[in-house]
Amino acid sequence: MLLRGAHRPRALDYLEAVLVAAICTVVSVAFRKRIDMVNFAMVYLFGVLVVSVRCHRAAAIVNATLSVSAFYYFIVPVHDSFVLEDYTYIITLCAMLAVALVITTLIERVRSQAAAVRDAEIAIQTERMRNSLLSAVSHDIKTPLAAIYGAATSLLEEEDRLNAVNRRELVGGIAAEVERMNRVITNLLKMTRLEAGVHVKKDWYPLEEIVGAAATRFEHAFGGRSVMIKIPPDLPLICVDDVLIEQVFVNLLDNFLKYTPAGTALEIIAGQDDSRIFVVVRDHGGGFSPGDEERVFDKFFRGKTDGERGLGLGLAICRAIVHGHEGTIAAETALDGGAVIRFELPIGGAPPAVGELPESSLA
Amino acid sequence: MTDYAAPDLPAEILLIEDDPEIRRVLRTTLSLERYNLREASTAMEGMKTIASCQPDAIILDLGLPDKDGIEVIHQVRQWNKLLPILVLSVRSREQDKISALDAGADDFVNKPFAVGELLARLRVADRRSSSILTERMDAIFRIGEIDVDLARRKVTVAGEEVHLTRIEYKLLQILIRHADMVVTHSQLLNEAWGPNHGDQVHYLRVYMLQLRRKLEKDPARPRHLRTEPGIGYRLITEPLAR
Repeated sequence: MLLRGAHRPRALDYLEAVLVAAICTVVSVAFRKRIDMVNFAMVYLFGVLVVSVRCHRAAAIVNATLSVSAFYYFIVPVHDSFVLEDYTYIITLCAMLAVALVITTLIERVRSQAAAVRDAEIAIQTERMRNSLLSAVSHDIKTPLAAIYGAATSLLEEEDRLNAVNRRELVGGIAAEVERMNRVITNLLKMTRLEAGVHVKKDWYPLEEIVGAAATRFEHAFGGRSVMIKIPPDLPLICVDDVLIEQVFVNLLDNFLKYTPAGTALEIIAGQDDSRIFVVVRDHGGGFSPGDEERVFDKFFRGKTDGERGLGLGLAICRAIVHGHEGTIAAETALDGGAVIRFELPIGGAPPAVGELPESSLA
Repeated sequence: MTDYAAPDLPAEILLIEDDPEIRRVLRTTLSLERYNLREASTAMEGMKTIASCQPDAIILDLGLPDKDGIEVIHQVRQWNKLLPILVLSVRSREQDKISALDAGADDFVNKPFAVGELLARLRVADRRSSSILTERMDAIFRIGEIDVDLARRKVTVAGEEVHLTRIEYKLLQILIRHADMVVTHSQLLNEAWGPNHGDQVHYLRVYMLQLRRKLEKDPARPRHLRTEPGIGYRLITEPLAR
């Protein structure tokens, strides 16, 4: 803790320089009768050292000057006077200043090296991120592209030899791959936009409507799988960005379809907890690998799954959105092995009373 | 497909879209459906074609090179309130869609779109424009298990009568008038409460919630009273099979 952070305001450094000199003086005056002159000088020198290590150069010089002045004013006999007859004053001042300058120079050098190392680490991480992004994107875009191109060229070139069934199969493949690619690109764009700063456009919504909008998008994809949505009818309105919160549900439902075995069920349960609304989304698939519960929210993190691969952005987007609403989100594996995502959002104040618009105002 | 176009005369559709590949796909598909397609790649060209050949419907891309597609809607609506206009847009640009709908577009389709969906929306928009022409409203409007007796203002779900408040009924009525088409929040607020409540969308949401609870089997997974997040609502009379 001796090395301070690089971004403290300079005024604080000066304040510290003055304070340390004052403390040294108080200590010295208190022990004036019991220790000798050299040790007083040591006390002040220690003060200069501390300030030189912790503060910038000008503050260290201020501290050294103050220390020498105080040393001569309060400590050296005759007390409480300022005698300039002695050249030792100048020598002590020079010694103190030299210490201050040497130490601050050294510290600055260490600091700039540390910053360089940190920058290099960030650069490496960014590079690693870029590489994983590139490999994910190139895989997830090029694979469907390859399938589409393959199907389209065989439709073009093998036209005469294909029967209706083959043709249907190829065309169906094209449509499915395009849908997959659209999902990948949409998620990528969404993440980019979220990272540029979540623009949250909030208003009061019944949660039921937002969940409903997300669920209806998947009605065909569910294909009869049980999706139970339990929302207490008296749940208050919540102040959120509906498009963003719907996206959270869309991504969770997408994960349910992608990563859980056909036929297993999903439950979405919501409730109120003081001034917050919580949502629990629970499936009955394989859950998370132990230790992955935190990392699943990292960008481009992909858990161990058989077959289905995504960009590793779904849950990262969920987290960015929930955090953008000052909420929290967590993942865990349930006792039966299924994945559980729980998130909480602040209601966002007192929901507006509905009923002030009298129905008799109807035209 | 329309009441006013003679059956042997294919309806003429104007596509204003700058991307040649999308034009190509629609040209092929619409000709299979016996539509006659006219094409324009800029807003200016589109406006000229509208004036010269008077199409039966317009499919309009919002991101045109020379002008915002919304301009085209404004100009068309100045002299023609009925011409069906279907907007092609990109998901996530909700504000653009609202502006287009409030300017008078009938509906939108998100890119990338399935052609079946586009054709279905086009038919619905066209049906609306012809039903306004004839001012014909079925006495009983059927939405799945929901029967709405428009003459007697009676609503039944699976034969059981359901009591709706005046506002709930009014909202249902508006949605029925625009059946299968998106209706923006401001359209609904203006029609149900009058022009001074445009910013109180949460009232609308609460009433829609109540309406869903009264009419839908599973209100959290509505089959008919659908939400278009950020835009408005859509009454689906028959869920589109895929």
